Amino acid sequence: MPVTRSLPDPRAPNRVVPVLAGLALVLVWSLDFGRIQPNRIVPGTGHGLVSALGWGGAALISLALGGSLLLSILPVRRRYPCLLVLITVLLAALPQLLVVFAARQLPEGAPYARTVIGAGFWCLLFLLSLMVVEVLGRLRARYGVPLLLLALIAASWLVLLRGDGLDSLSLLREYQAQPGKFEQALWTHLALAFGAVAISAVLAFALALRMIRSPGWQRPILGAVSFLQTIPSLAVFGLLIAPLGALASAFPVLQALGVRGIGWAPALLALVAYSLLPMVRNTFVALTDIPEHLTDAARGMGMTERQVFFQLKLPLAMPVIIEGLRITTIQAIGLTAVAALIGAGGFGDFIFQGLGQAAMDLVLLGALPTIALALLADALLTMLAASLRPTPARA
Amino acid sequence: MRNWLPVLLLIALLCGLCAAMPVLEPLFRGLQPDKARVIYQRESLFFLLGHHLMLVAVSAAVATLVAVAAGIFATRPSGRDFLPLVSQVASIGQTFPPVAVLALAVPVLGFGEAPILFALMLYGLLPILRNTLAGLEGLDPTVREAALGMGMSPWQVLCQVELPLAGRVILAGIRTSVTINIATAAIGSTIGARTLGDPVIAGLVNGNTAYVLQGAILIGLLALAADSLFEALERAWGAGVAIANK
Amino acid sequence: MIELKNVTRRFGDTVAVDGIDLAIETGEVCVLVGSSGCGKSTTLRMINRLLPHSSGEIRVDGKDITTLNPERLRLNMGYVIQGTGLFPHWTVARNIALVPRLLKWPQARVDARVRELMTLLDLDPDTYANKYPAQLSGGQAQRVGVARALAADPNILLMDEPFGALDAITRENLQLEMLRIQRQVRKTTVFVTHDIDEALKLATRIAVMDQGRIVQHDTPENILRHPASEFVENLVGKQDRGLKLMSLRPVRELMTAHARPRPATPGADALGEDDSLREALSVMLCRNLTQLPVCNGRGEETGVIARERIIRDGV
Repeated sequence: MPVTRSLPDPRAPNRVVPVLAGLALVLVWSLDFGRIQPNRIVPGTGHGLVSALGWGGAALISLALGGSLLLSILPVRRRYPCLLVLITVLLAALPQLLVVFAARQLPEGAPYARTVIGAGFWCLLFLLSLMVVEVLGRLRARYGVPLLLLALIAASWLVLLRGDGLDSLSLLREYQAQPGKFEQALWTHLALAFGAVAISAVLAFALALRMIRSPGWQRPILGAVSFLQTIPSLAVFGLLIAPLGALASAFPVLQALGVRGIGWAPALLALVAYSLLPMVRNTFVALTDIPEHLTDAARGMGMTERQVFFQLKLPLAMPVIIEGLRITTIQAIGLTAVAALIGAGGFGDFIFQGLGQAAMDLVLLGALPTIALALLADALLTMLAASLRPTPARA
Repeated sequence: MRNWLPVLLLIALLCGLCAAMPVLEPLFRGLQPDKARVIYQRESLFFLLGHHLMLVAVSAAVATLVAVAAGIFATRPSGRDFLPLVSQVASIGQTFPPVAVLALAVPVLGFGEAPILFALMLYGLLPILRNTLAGLEGLDPTVREAALGMGMSPWQVLCQVELPLAGRVILAGIRTSVTINIATAAIGSTIGARTLGDPVIAGLVNGNTAYVLQGAILIGLLALAADSLFEALERAWGAGVAIANK
Repeated sequence: MIELKNVTRRFGDTVAVDGIDLAIETGEVCVLVGSSGCGKSTTLRMINRLLPHSSGEIRVDGKDITTLNPERLRLNMGYVIQGTGLFPHWTVARNIALVPRLLKWPQARVDARVRELMTLLDLDPDTYANKYPAQLSGGQAQRVGVARALAADPNILLMDEPFGALDAITRENLQLEMLRIQRQVRKTTVFVTHDIDEALKLATRIAVMDQGRIVQHDTPENILRHPASEFVENLVGKQDRGLKLMSLRPVRELMTAHARPRPATPGADALGEDDSLREALSVMLCRNLTQLPVCNGRGEETGVIARERIIRDGV
């Protein structure tokens, strides 16, 4: 019995973009667009849209938002491509608004004064991103278009951030205040997260194969890895301090390698433990969920077990295994930030230092790159999984 | 009853440890001989446990209400336009690391309980929303078709058919959400929430491994107790529906 | 009585049902038959307003359905679909009780009705009432689906390929069951199928649909004898129309009856009065017999039927 659901008519007006654009208009006019702080700690004064950008800038933003609102409800041909271009340009130009703000409001001759991004700006960024997601979904865009957009926006932001106009931005001040530390944190973060993922991927593959060979291992292995995942990260880091400390003092070799109760060793150990569940589960499910008629056919055609595994099972299982890798990587990037509490370094250092000193921009300097890393890993691995899917996904 | 035994045991162990931590002093003393104090006493452990629980429970309740409502809205004919965006947001949102969300809440709301409650709710929403959507969208379309065709009103279909059938999946989402939030609330100690993370953070700051261990054990037990509670709930729920979903 | 006047349904640019007129008399079984995508399911789903019609008018017992509350309308129409649509979290009894409970019947009446229907559909209430749909076989689940549709004694029964997913033997059983029940309860029935043999077996009248239009609306016999177009001719089968016509007529019509029933010869081949001429001929060809005894429901021999007679007068 066919359950007929009429396909959305591409010419029908869109109800989502107007809601988002309308909300953006309200928020950008009612919230502070930015603040000027006399120094690092004092909260400073907020500036609304008009005060921050002048009537010209405010009108321009309102016009662009209103335009996308109208574009989405009026009967326009090629509605979504037009919307996409408009919103992308707006997104790419966002840092320029901060440049204008700094030029208008930053007091002369106050070397410690800095500009701080306000709630209005963040809301604008957030809602514009949602609009892009919505429009891309309607266009059924594959990897090419989103990647191109991302590259365009990122390039424009990099150029603007490297220019002189944004020197006063508090985030950049924090970045410049500790030269080299940002890069160091980035590498530590990446090394820890990806090291843990790599180790756990190898371990998980071995465990999954073990479970397939001897079904008796399934329950204990799955039980153990999901038990590990249930324990909160802070507790795992805490619980590892004492045993690792004891190990290090018992074996000087380990101490020479840098293994101590705190630092990279317990962090890596905990991250690997955490990464096991999604990796083991996905690998196991992917390899055992191959339809039996396929393996039967393969064996019936005379393929050896080895050929069945490498030419049939592994390729078919790959997308699901990559999905496990994606979950694991995102989780590891987030947990590495927590690991800073036990002295493992990485972006978490900035977050917790910032929280300790009540320096919100330092918190942002740690939190934003962590989020960016997670989003980037998510996007790349999603695309990898999609491109490995043996049959093309239907539109 | 057998379902509930592990839950009760874990809760008893948790409360017992909270009350009897000072009795274990010799043990911790052996671990940390150089510190004057080895038992965390700045705050009663019961108080921290209660507070931790309260934060998680309040955020889970609000998150469940909001997420289920949003999931229902996005799967009704009137809200279907929003479904692609809502499901995208639910999955993209989960890539934001919890600790980063927690950190971002501070500049907006300041230190203390408000940002942590806000972050827990926001983050706890996502798995529930995602599962609500999966549960409602994953229903056999003929069941909904038959229900409408037999003359049930959309409201009756929702309450008597769709929600009961999607309930297990939604419950699993709440379980994920609570597990994550117990962990995130513990980290919330760094922004001034009073939770079982306090002893761990205090121990890390002062180099007192005994404190760290006490906090870590209690947090771990709390997580296990909550998890086994949901396990038992899912079993109890399943007793009626397990055969149905065979 | 269901009347469709110039009813059209569009999905975007495509026209699924194109200005059809159809009148279904009270108590008759109207079968909509055609290949997939011909608009037969769409037509059915417009009658209970699961789909709104784009233009035209649909009347049920003289009332325009757009003026009625959709839920009230549907409560008076049983609805059976392929794959049953039974609620997996409810027991068989609760599933059957769905509409009576929606109509707020007293519990005792609901229980009595459930037992009655389960008995009617040959499902032992004591065995099956508390089972869940997943514990039933395909055929049993479909019986429950039919029982659920009949529960509140609706005037109209809408059936959308109800037996489509069943194996041949179960399907045949349920078709016979359906004929038996139809003789007892006489519901105005609209039945959708792509299987022309099923249509011929069950219908009082058949509406053949193609590309959203009704190309012929007539009795099974007339459809076989006088197909209105090449399309209908292909659908009913050019080669075996003669055999299909024979399958419409029971043995009773052409047998030579005994003056009074006599005890049947034990162990011998025999036909039932309601078996079709086609079956009778097939048995005789197989066994190389020239005639066969015919028995009634009580196992008494009521007459004989001859091969010559079938070949001469069967079509």
